[in-house]
Amino acid sequence: MATSVYLSNPNVTINSVSLQDQCTSATVNYVYEQLETTAFGDTARKFGGSTVTSLQNNSIEVELYQSYAGSETEATIYGLVGIQTTLIVAPASGVVGATNPFYTLVGAYLESHTPINASLGELSTVTLTFTGGVLTKTTS
Amino acid sequence: MATYIVTSDRLIWKRGTVLDATDLGDVNIDGLIDGGHISTHSVKKPAKTKTNETED
Repeated sequence: MATSVYLSNPNVTINSVSLQDQCTSATVNYVYEQLETTAFGDTARKFGGSTVTSLQNNSIEVELYQSYAGSETEATIYGLVGIQTTLIVAPASGVVGATNPFYTLVGAYLESHTPINASLGELSTVTLTFTGGVLTKTTS
Repeated sequence: MATYIVTSDRLIWKRGTVLDATDLGDVNIDGLIDGGHISTHSVKKPAKTKTNETED
């Protein structure tokens, strides 16, 4: 029987700071750039191959509620703009395991941040995209 | 080696834990300091005690 994932309690850690209680969305993109290896004699285009390793081009996008209180969203994120950091995202807040893999992106770069994104009558949120870095999946 | 004390409840370490750069690994330390999650920790040297040894 097929199963589906209902994310209600994922673990989101940015620069070792847990922002789970401020996070409403997290997307981990695991990408190896596509390199064409088509050659004469081929009848169809080919990409990659057992001896061709391309660069990873990973990213993690998170959406957080904004908070200017001490040790909250703004205090944690503002200093990370323009530098590299490490993120960990897991489907649940429990321990790492085969059914709760931890995805760790080391060396991710935060290019921009929106310190103020406010609309009348709405909770302020920030959407952050961390790019680059090496992604690893841990199951134990 | 510089040491740091945890000052928030959002880290995997409990508030008050003393860490060094090795513990923090790939973490951006300046970012944690700016965010108020850790602060530099200086270890006070114990005061020197005088010994009143007398020579025979």
